Amino acid sequence: MNQTNTTNESKKSPGFWRHAWLRFRRKKLSMCALIVVLCLSLIAVCSPMIAGTKPIVCKYKGNLYFPCMAYFNPDWENPIFQKDRFRKRYPKNLKEKDPESWAIWPLIFQDPYRPVRDNEWGDRPGNPFNGGKPSSLNLFGTSKGKDVLAMMVHGTRIALLVGFVSTGIAAAIGIVVGAIAGYFGGWIDIIISRIIELVMCIPSIVLILALIAVIEKPTIWHMMAILGFTSWTGMARLTRAEFLKLKESEFVAAARSIGAGPFRIMFRHILPNSLAPVMVPIVFGIAAAIKVEAGLSLLGFGAPPPNPSWGTILNAGMTNYTEWWQIVFPGIAIFITILAYNLIGEGLQEATDPRLADPKD
Amino acid sequence: MVGYLIRRVLLGLLTLLLITMVIYALIRAMPGNPLATDAAMMNPENMPSEEDIQRMQAAYGLDKSIPEAYIHWLTNMVRGDFGSSFAEKKPVLDVIGSRVTNTLLLTVPSLILAYLLAIPIGLFSTWRSGKADERLVGVGLYMLYAIPSFIAALFLQLLFAVKLDGTAFELPLMGIRSDEYETLTSTQKAWDWLKHMILPVISFTYVSLAYYSRFIKANMEEVVRQDYIRTAKAKGLGPLRIMIHHAFRNTLIPFVTLLGLSLPALLGGAIILEQIFNWPGMGQLYFRSILTRDYPVIMGLTFALSVLTLLGQLLADMLYAFVDPRISYK
Repeated sequence: MNQTNTTNESKKSPGFWRHAWLRFRRKKLSMCALIVVLCLSLIAVCSPMIAGTKPIVCKYKGNLYFPCMAYFNPDWENPIFQKDRFRKRYPKNLKEKDPESWAIWPLIFQDPYRPVRDNEWGDRPGNPFNGGKPSSLNLFGTSKGKDVLAMMVHGTRIALLVGFVSTGIAAAIGIVVGAIAGYFGGWIDIIISRIIELVMCIPSIVLILALIAVIEKPTIWHMMAILGFTSWTGMARLTRAEFLKLKESEFVAAARSIGAGPFRIMFRHILPNSLAPVMVPIVFGIAAAIKVEAGLSLLGFGAPPPNPSWGTILNAGMTNYTEWWQIVFPGIAIFITILAYNLIGEGLQEATDPRLADPKD
Repeated sequence: MVGYLIRRVLLGLLTLLLITMVIYALIRAMPGNPLATDAAMMNPENMPSEEDIQRMQAAYGLDKSIPEAYIHWLTNMVRGDFGSSFAEKKPVLDVIGSRVTNTLLLTVPSLILAYLLAIPIGLFSTWRSGKADERLVGVGLYMLYAIPSFIAALFLQLLFAVKLDGTAFELPLMGIRSDEYETLTSTQKAWDWLKHMILPVISFTYVSLAYYSRFIKANMEEVVRQDYIRTAKAKGLGPLRIMIHHAFRNTLIPFVTLLGLSLPALLGGAIILEQIFNWPGMGQLYFRSILTRDYPVIMGLTFALSVLTLLGQLLADMLYAFVDPRISYK
C-alpha cells in the first residue's frame, strides 16, 4: 500500500510554481540577485551582532543577558543595566561592576545612533566629529561622529522592512480591491475603477509628502503605511484584469455549481491562478519602495533621526560634499539592493510567463 | 469621436474636482498653519496681538471651515483667481509663472535628449541582438536603470563639482547662475546658464533614456518576428531599411502613448532633483510650499499638474487612435 503511494507521488507532474522555480534557477543573474537579497536579509537580521556597542551575550552578576536585542526594540534591554547606571557604556561598566563578568562583542564596536568616545573600548580613540575619513577604525568613515558602516548595517534592516511591509500593504489592498472590481463587475467595477484612476492622477510624491506632513511625528512605520497606501493602484489594475478574464473560465463555473460563495471562489479558486502576473509587480514594487524611502529621507522627510536609514546618511552627506564617503557608500548600497530586486523581478517574469515556457519541461 | 471627447472631458472635470478636494482636505489637516511658519511672526519682541492674528486669519480665509474654504477656493478658481501666496505675498499665478521657465529649461532639453538617444540605442540593440556589444549596452542600461536619479545626481556632483574642482571639467555644484552673473558679458552669461544646466539635465535624462531604449527594444523584438519583416527580407531590402521603414514605424504606436504620459513630468520636474541642485523650479516650489503650509500655492500647483496629467492621458489615447487606424472611439 505504502509502495504504490510513493510511486504515485513521484509520477505526479510538477506544479506551476515548481516549474517556475526550475526555470528561475536556470537564470544565473537572477539567482545571484536572490543570493544578494538573502545576504542582505541575513545582515539585517544579524545587524546588532555585526555592529554595535552592546554585547551579544554577557554574563553579569551570575545571569546571562542579551543586551544587543535593544537595537531591535529598546524595551528588550534588561532593566538591570539601567538600574546599575550603565548609561550605554558596556565594556568598562561590566568590568568595574562585576569583575567576574564576560561578554561576546559584536564584530565591529561602533554604534549607529551615537559616536564612540575616547577610551570607551580599551584605550581606543573616539570617532572624529568632523572630516572622519575612512580609516581602520571607521571603515566607511564617520557622519557627524557616527560610524557610517554601523549606520549602514542597521540601515539594511530599515531598507528591507520598508520594502517588504509597504509592498505587502500595497499588495493586500491592490489584490482585494482589484479582485472585488474584477469579480463583481457592474457598478462596483465602475466606482472602483474611477477611484483607481483618481489615485493614479495625483502625483504620488505630492500625496506622500502631504500625508507625511499630516502626521505630527512620523516614524518609520508611518512611512511604510503611507508608501503602501499610495502604491497599490498598479496591482489593483492587474488583478482586476486577471479576474475579469478568469471569472468566465470553466473551473469557476464548476465551483459555483457546487455552491461555493463569491469570496470562496475569489480567494480560493481565482486568486491562486492569477497570482503569477501579480507577483512580478510586487517584486518591482519592493525596489520602488526602497527608492522612494531613500529619496524622502534624503529630503529630510523620512523617519526622524536618529534613524540610520541609508537616505538619512545621504541627507547628512548633502550638507558637506567634501565628506564623499557619506554619499558614495550608501549610494552604492541602494543601487545594489534595487538592482537585485529588479533582476529577481525580471527572472520571475520570464519564469512565470507561459509564452516563454520551454516545451521540454 | 466628438461624443467620446465630451465624455472624457466631463469625466476629467469630475476627477479634477475630486483630486483638488482630497488635496485641500489633506493640506488643511496638516498640523501648523501658514501664520505659525512665517519667520516674522516668531519674533518674540514683536508678537502679534490676538486681534491681529484673527484679522490675518480672516484675510487668508483660515477662519472658515474646510468645506467652506474649499468652495471659496473653487469659485474663485473658476473665475481665474487662484489667490495669492502667503509666503511671497504675490498672486499664485505670478509665483508659478516665475518658475515655469526654470523647470522647462531642464525638462525640455532632457526629454528631447532622451528621445534622440533612445531611438538609435534601441534600434542598435535590436540590430545587434545577442551579440557581445549589444549585451554590453544592455547591461550598462540595466545598471543605469537601477540607480535612482537622485543618487546619480549626488555622484555627478561629487565627481564634477568636488573632485574635478579647479580643472577644466569643473562644473557648478548647484544653483541656476553664478554669483557674479550680473557682471558677465552676454556670451559669458549664456555659458554660465549652460554650465549650470549640464548636471541637472544629465540627471533628468538618463533614467528615461534607460527606460525608453529598453522599451523600444522590447517592442522591436516583437515586431521583427512578424511575417512582413520576413517578406521585406525576402525582397532583398537592406537591414537598415527594414529596421527603420518596416519595423520601427510599427513600434511607434506604443511609443506615442509614452509621449503623452511624459507631459506632466515636463512641468512637475522632480522635487528631489530640484532640491538637490537647488534649482528654483516648480518641484522646489512645491516642496517649499508644503513646508511653509502655503495653501494657495499648493492648490495651484496640484491643479496645474492634475490638468496636465489628465490632458496627457487624453492626448495619449487620441494619438493612439491617430496612428493606429484599427482603433476608433465611438
